[in-house]
Amino acid sequence: MTTQEITPTDDFGIAEASRTNLWKDAFARLAANKLAVIGIIPIVLLFFIAIFGPYLTPYDFLAQDFTARLAAPSSEHWLGTDELGRDVFSRILYGARTAVAVGLVSTAISLIVGLIMGSLAGYLGGRVDMLVVWLTDMTRSMPALLLAIVINLTLKVPLEAWMEQMYLATKNGFFRQTMWVDLVLVFGALALIQWPGYARLIRGQILSIRSRNYVLAARALGMPTGRILTRYVIPNAMGPLIVAVSAGLGGAMVLESAFSFLGVGVQLPIPSWGKMISDGLRMWQTHPYLLAGPAVMMAIITVSFAWLGDGLNDALNPRQWGG
Amino acid sequence: MSQTDSSNRAPLVRVENLTKHFSVRIGAYGETKATVHALDEVSFDVRRGETLGLVGESGCGKSTAGLTLLQLHRPTSGKVYFEEKEVTGLSEKEMRPLRRRMQIIFQDPYSTLSPRMTIGNAIGEPLWLHELASGREAQERISRLLNDVGLNPAFAFRYPHEFSGGQRQRVCIARALACEPEFIVCDEPISALDVSIQAQIINLLQDLQEEYDLTYLFIAHDLAVVRHISDRVAVMYLGRVVEMAPKERLFDNPLHPYTNALLLSVPVPNPRQERQREHIVIQGNVPSAISPPSGCRFHPRCPLAFEPCDHVVPEWREAEPGHWVACHAV
Amino acid sequence: MSVLLDVQDLQTRFQVRKGYVYAVNGVSFQLDQGDTLAVVGESGCGKSVTMLSLVRLLPPAASIENGQVLLRGEDLLQLNLRQLRDVRGGEIGMIFQDPMTSLNPFINIGTQMAEPLIYHRGMSKSEALARSAELLGMVGIPDGEARLREYPHQFSGGMRQRVMIAMSMSCEPAVLIADEPTTALDVTIQAQIVELVKELRDRSGVAVIWITHDLSVVAGIADRVIVMYAGYIVEEAPVDALFEDPRHPYTVGLMGALPSLAGETGTRLTTIGGSPPDLVDLPDFCPFHPRCPYAIDRCRKENPMLEPVIDASDGGHRAACWVDIREVELEAGAAAGSV
Repeated sequence: MTTQEITPTDDFGIAEASRTNLWKDAFARLAANKLAVIGIIPIVLLFFIAIFGPYLTPYDFLAQDFTARLAAPSSEHWLGTDELGRDVFSRILYGARTAVAVGLVSTAISLIVGLIMGSLAGYLGGRVDMLVVWLTDMTRSMPALLLAIVINLTLKVPLEAWMEQMYLATKNGFFRQTMWVDLVLVFGALALIQWPGYARLIRGQILSIRSRNYVLAARALGMPTGRILTRYVIPNAMGPLIVAVSAGLGGAMVLESAFSFLGVGVQLPIPSWGKMISDGLRMWQTHPYLLAGPAVMMAIITVSFAWLGDGLNDALNPRQWGG
Repeated sequence: MSQTDSSNRAPLVRVENLTKHFSVRIGAYGETKATVHALDEVSFDVRRGETLGLVGESGCGKSTAGLTLLQLHRPTSGKVYFEEKEVTGLSEKEMRPLRRRMQIIFQDPYSTLSPRMTIGNAIGEPLWLHELASGREAQERISRLLNDVGLNPAFAFRYPHEFSGGQRQRVCIARALACEPEFIVCDEPISALDVSIQAQIINLLQDLQEEYDLTYLFIAHDLAVVRHISDRVAVMYLGRVVEMAPKERLFDNPLHPYTNALLLSVPVPNPRQERQREHIVIQGNVPSAISPPSGCRFHPRCPLAFEPCDHVVPEWREAEPGHWVACHAV
Repeated sequence: MSVLLDVQDLQTRFQVRKGYVYAVNGVSFQLDQGDTLAVVGESGCGKSVTMLSLVRLLPPAASIENGQVLLRGEDLLQLNLRQLRDVRGGEIGMIFQDPMTSLNPFINIGTQMAEPLIYHRGMSKSEALARSAELLGMVGIPDGEARLREYPHQFSGGMRQRVMIAMSMSCEPAVLIADEPTTALDVTIQAQIVELVKELRDRSGVAVIWITHDLSVVAGIADRVIVMYAGYIVEEAPVDALFEDPRHPYTVGLMGALPSLAGETGTRLTTIGGSPPDLVDLPDFCPFHPRCPYAIDRCRKENPMLEPVIDASDGGHRAACWVDIREVELEAGAAAGSV
């Protein structure tokens, strides 16, 4: 073993050094994982496109060119145009924004709900735990897509009616944009489907970490509960959570596409890859490029998130550091 | 070790009728509530500067005794005194100053250190917590503690996964020492280690005891190890202490039939002696702590069992000066 | 007595991320009919891998690179998988450390015990069950017929190990390999199991290979002992010779590290400093020299072979050491190394 000199600094001089070291270690392992690195590239690109998409697109995603309807891919329209003459390439780029927004927002909502419910269940135990477990079981026992359809069908009309009332009362143009209803419903459905996974994961992590000897040892040192949580429980629960979030981001995007495909997702005019796939499917024999573009994008992103998730799993698992 | 004068010393820790029952659910669907009698009416004392060995088979409650004594489990009944001050019933906040003085080392050094904390930080935690040192002073303390347990102080920046089991156990010992404790519960500290490493840790614990005048409650299942390290030994069976005596007396002249059976079960590391000695093997298994036998808990396996054993709990009495036993046949 | 099992120059290594781990490095030994051979060493010394290599029950990352395993003259390493299955559980019975996980929790004891009898002995189900009940009686579990209908969780740890022993003995094997069979058990139960195996051995004449880290158990059961370190046999001797006249510094260290129930107390244990090496390279030096108080220059340059010791008190005493440790007087405490 090599030795290193101790350099005394503030706060034991260790706290900072250790934290960067730990994450540096994990990062080095991630960087050594070829699939994970390959997976990161499309994901970074996706976020880039989502942010700067509108400046990159050659055409407005809404611009209809009736002279060039269902045009085949050409130098003018790289991926052709759809039946309304809209540029498919521009719509795919703009669709990245939908995908990222859906992934981030729905994951954030379900993560927050899952964190709260899972922590409560794990810490308090007893009846709260039973209630949370029962709730997650109930939610997970329902087919995801069916749940989304039911939510959409039952809530859309009353929500739109409420928006209309609000518009009449306030004369605020915001309430005229019905796409917000769609977004709220899609985010809501996705969060509802995904929170039980996070809740169960966090509950399991907390239960397992609480029973570890290092928590018992910390109690034996006389450590207050708050510090045990922040110093011991949470850092050790982070790894699996990061992995789950990575997988969850990809999963949410796929689910949203499935919603759109079934007609309960984000409605036009906001382009969504799922919606484009379902539209393209109707004409895939005559105009296969309408289907191919969004489908390939979807596949790349899904696989990328899966690879990144696997890589993170290996990188953040301290048991694998020994070898 | 000062075996002779430890008998005159005052008890540092005294345990009186300590009882711990766990309620569990049994049956295929957890439909039946049951009580595990992990610890029943256990009394013993640990004198300042001595090592009391607590020995017994798995499930006899010896680890529960250690954890309950430290109030890491709330006792069902009974009392624990530290320097004749009652600690049972104290709140966690009131316990905190006492926690500094009473420490514990666990069996499994792999799960006793957080994988996300350098060992320097792990050892530094008690310094920060009990405001014993900070800044540069803490740094030096950590180095000295690592040095004390035979590790390179430069290891402070490393993570537990970089260490072997024996080295991790040294880190755990250093962390316990950081509190400057007077009393340490050693809960099977060497059971998970290889033989050659076990000897290293035993020697280390003995050196540290001498250097810092520590008092140990040494919990183990290995009788030879207990004999080596202890001044006095208490033997547990199924939640009760059945015999307690200075170690020479206990090993040379055991009074309780269970102690005797245990001693006869230990293989002798000498082939010629092993061939000659009588192999009286105690039959049967340790019964479940959920429904322990009535009367003396050892009676179903006891070669000496007679009339009162199956319904009268034998009294815990001092059969000879300093030699306590709970048996009708003695 | 004839040689029953003859292992020659066995080498097994594991593929890991950064290359290989050399777990077994040229192990040779013989086992006679009715003989009991104990294999002693610390975790990672290759004792279990050696025995698993005999019947090729290795994880996928492991490969046997060299060697012969001759059972009655037939090389087990050359058999195809079908023939090997007849040997496993037939000619060679095995017991493992953890009786809690060695039995399938979802199948009752009777079905699990009957299986090898039906497979290896061609018995009918009812014959096999009847024989299983008999076997349970033989290993000290009364009321066998009723207990065959029970499931593993209804048995205690010691009882399960008895069931495992009954299963491994059911096809009257020539060799019984016991891999740390008492490590997970309490000392009173360990004594029961040791007595049981001795009794079965004396009655059936099975040859036993007893793998353990505990030298004290060895004293009571073995005829001969092999001490392993870093994948090498460092000493081999009849049991009396090993305990009375150990010649390898590692064996001496292991014995000094054992506290005992008799004799002086208050003494310090001698220890072996440091910890065992990683086996990522085949060493061209004695693998024990960094921890060895007797080490000389030669130990750092050449790896000693296992050779007969000088003035052996008993035949077949071999050690792999350049130093005749009887001639070296260690300074007091020199054996107590540091980390």
